[in-house]
Amino acid sequence: MSAHRLSPLATVLLVLGAAVMLAPMAWTLLLSFKSNAALMADSGAAFAGPYTFENYAAILKGSLTLQWLANSLVVATGAAVGVLVLSSLAGYGFARLEFPFRRTLFVIVLLGLAVPEQAVILPRHQLFAWLGLHNTYPGLILPSLTGSFGVFFMTQYFRAIPRELDEAALLDGASRFTLFWKVLLPLTLPAQATLGVFTFLAAWNDYWWPLISATTSDYFTLTVGLASAQMNYAQTSGLGFLMAQAVFASIPILIVYIAFQKQIVRAMAGTAVR
Amino acid sequence: MRVPLSGLALIDVSKSFGDVPVLERVSLRIAPREFIAFLGPSGSGKSTLLRIIAGLETADSGEVWLDGERIDTRPPGARGIAMVFQHYALYPHMTVRENMAFGLRNAGVAKDEIARRIAQAADILEIGAQLDKKPGQMSGGQRQRVAIGRAIVKQPRLFLLDEPLSNLDAALRGRTRVELAQLRTRVDAALIMVTHDQAEAMTLADRIVILDDCCIQQVGTPAEVYTRPANAFVARFVGSPPMAMLPGVVAGEEAGRVRVRLAGGAVLATDVPAGGLVAGTEVDVGLRPEHVRLAAPGEEGLAAEVELVERLGDRTFLYARLADGAEIVALEPGFGTLRPGEAAALVIDAAAAHIFTAGGAAHHPEPSA
Amino acid sequence: MNAAARDRWAGYAFVGPFLLVYAAVLVVPLAMGLVISLHRADLFGRRAWIGLGNYTQALGDPVLHQALGNTILLALLIVPPLTVIALLLALALNRPGRFAAILRGVFFSSLVLSVTIVTLIWRFILTPDAGLIAEGLEAAGHAPIPFLSDPDLVIPAIAVTTLWWSLGFPVMLILAGLQQVPGDIYEAAALDGASRWTVLRRITLPAIRRTLLLVVMLQTAAQLQLFGQAQLLTGGGPGGASRTIVLYIFEVSFGRWELGYATAIAELLFGMIIALTLLQYWLVTRHEGQRT
Repeated sequence: MSAHRLSPLATVLLVLGAAVMLAPMAWTLLLSFKSNAALMADSGAAFAGPYTFENYAAILKGSLTLQWLANSLVVATGAAVGVLVLSSLAGYGFARLEFPFRRTLFVIVLLGLAVPEQAVILPRHQLFAWLGLHNTYPGLILPSLTGSFGVFFMTQYFRAIPRELDEAALLDGASRFTLFWKVLLPLTLPAQATLGVFTFLAAWNDYWWPLISATTSDYFTLTVGLASAQMNYAQTSGLGFLMAQAVFASIPILIVYIAFQKQIVRAMAGTAVR
Repeated sequence: MRVPLSGLALIDVSKSFGDVPVLERVSLRIAPREFIAFLGPSGSGKSTLLRIIAGLETADSGEVWLDGERIDTRPPGARGIAMVFQHYALYPHMTVRENMAFGLRNAGVAKDEIARRIAQAADILEIGAQLDKKPGQMSGGQRQRVAIGRAIVKQPRLFLLDEPLSNLDAALRGRTRVELAQLRTRVDAALIMVTHDQAEAMTLADRIVILDDCCIQQVGTPAEVYTRPANAFVARFVGSPPMAMLPGVVAGEEAGRVRVRLAGGAVLATDVPAGGLVAGTEVDVGLRPEHVRLAAPGEEGLAAEVELVERLGDRTFLYARLADGAEIVALEPGFGTLRPGEAAALVIDAAAAHIFTAGGAAHHPEPSA
Repeated sequence: MNAAARDRWAGYAFVGPFLLVYAAVLVVPLAMGLVISLHRADLFGRRAWIGLGNYTQALGDPVLHQALGNTILLALLIVPPLTVIALLLALALNRPGRFAAILRGVFFSSLVLSVTIVTLIWRFILTPDAGLIAEGLEAAGHAPIPFLSDPDLVIPAIAVTTLWWSLGFPVMLILAGLQQVPGDIYEAAALDGASRWTVLRRITLPAIRRTLLLVVMLQTAAQLQLFGQAQLLTGGGPGGASRTIVLYIFEVSFGRWELGYATAIAELLFGMIIALTLLQYWLVTRHEGQRT
């Protein structure tokens, strides 16, 4: 297939499609540089100057946006690190060690892939209320750590490493832990990057859980915080500021996306190749 | 069984995977600094035996002793054994230097001693320039040297090689064979090599251990297993093309040597002593290709039809079928002239024939003094 | 043996931490959900056993029926077009070169945005009050269309927003599937003189059949749980015209505090998703056994 050249019609359609994908983002970017007042007067003004940084200055100055940004960073990083640690340990265990009920336990973990969030989110909310975990970082991070995908992904990755390496290390007098830590784990670094970025993105963008778990604005993540701001603003009165917030909130994630595009694509592909 | 104070001893080693037996009461002794080849078809248990010695598999029963110490109860890293794996099993994320140092660090060897041993091994194997490269940046041949180097620096008492040549292309294989031959002079250890390639085993080993059907079939020098195979399996397995087996019946004896009548009626006067072979016993007559030739013009020979001609340039093997249906292989010097489908008259050197009874026992020719 | 025993404990030591979290934060709530759904329960822990009462209530709840209809309509408006567009894009972008690489980046980009940002952007695209589309219509001399307050247009508007947001993931999956197809199949087909259309129908599509199935299964499960877009764009309005099941669950639990009833609806949705997933899997794979 790839040998065929794109027809002119297909090329035109693709470029048009790309424009449809990008136009909303570009428009958002333009609006974010317009003063609220100018937009109140004439919303069509987005396509012409004068542009200003006042919306971004407002974000950096007073609002809770920076706190939300910090919360999102803590939650997403915590989720990524937690998933990496738990999935690497479990993946190695399932792939390489023999213990009773190994297969059964692995199947139980895989079944988790089929459980939609809706089936657990309300009871989990109740459970976390009893445990006093709402409006805490652990409360926001813990649900991300139940992902079966990470364990499945790491198990597959460990399984793909030739057993000869384990055996060579055993003959080299390595302990179980040395074998895991110095020989196999370094070999899973590409998978770690992929899984880490994937988890970070998912946790950063999660909405439902932080919406009901973080109820005081101090613990809002950016996603929830922006939603509350959206609700509070009556239509266009703060349009420029809202859009600046959107751009501001997207910047970290776009940086992660651009820097790790390869890993993200590979993570997605990982779900397909099972 | 008394355990020797030096060398390797296997005592009654048995192993099965589930219901499938792989090794049954295998016993073996190997002298210090001896080069041994485990030779056998796939599934013969030769790799399992090697892995039991290394500690990568646990035997169901039996003992493994090395230099007077029982080692089968120890973890693999504490047996004084080094192994070169089939696919080398170099640690891809470590440099060559780190690969070689890894085992020594785990064993708590002092830093300067590690450096000294690596330098020495690199010198011997001529990989000094590659020490800071990673395995992925090296060729197959270089990787194998590193794998050997990683084993050498441990100064093991026993050196295991799992199909060391199977991953190399033909050209590299020849060179590496020479290197392996040199290796034994450089290490103060016994070597065991697993292979399914008889040429490799014949070339390198002091003694060959032939395994099949969960058991050792024969242990002997290359000459012994070739000229005096212990049974029909060894006779067929060693030598290429394999020994032909012609069915026949013991017809009697003459001057203490057995005469055999082949199925087609021809009678062979062999050099095999008659002891134990009574007239009327059904036997197989084993003949290597070099003991079957084309009849000279006018010479009488057994009628056969050529089925396949294998030309090697300096000599030609004729795969033929005798009138009684038995398959036979003849050797013809030079390029040969016959084609498949043509008739040939074959002359058998009956004095070189081996005789195998139905139980598989072998009777070898013994030229009378 | 000693080593085997050590291995056993090592095994539990390695998989234990994950299993602990998995049990506490997933398995326990899953079981709790079944129990809670059989109670009249509020958010503050008060409970009374009512057996299947919540479920019979659900059967006769007109608001739930409307939400179910909305959700199914949304899924139908989103999943098939999404799959087809993603397939076409993947086929077009499955080629080497800078042009394709840049376009892949563009089409993947929206999926890294959070639902909040997506709805923020689209609210102001769709609004009749100086939105991007309204501006365009005005320039063309047309009156602005109130997408988000017209009961007939609000569902399509949410569907378009979701399409724009969700396109990248299925494109990635299908691209990954396409790369798994061995190249020599195409060479063999070319030698057989197959046309592009034949190659697509007879070789490419069968080869990525499982990937397409995965896309449809994942997207169906995701869209039946559509929540953020509806909540943020319209709040379910006008008049419940865009209320989805999960939005209703949210309202029942955190607006009306009827946790038991909300949980029962969630269990019904869970059952529906599992059943649909199994049905799709069965439909696509039932012939495979006979063919091979």
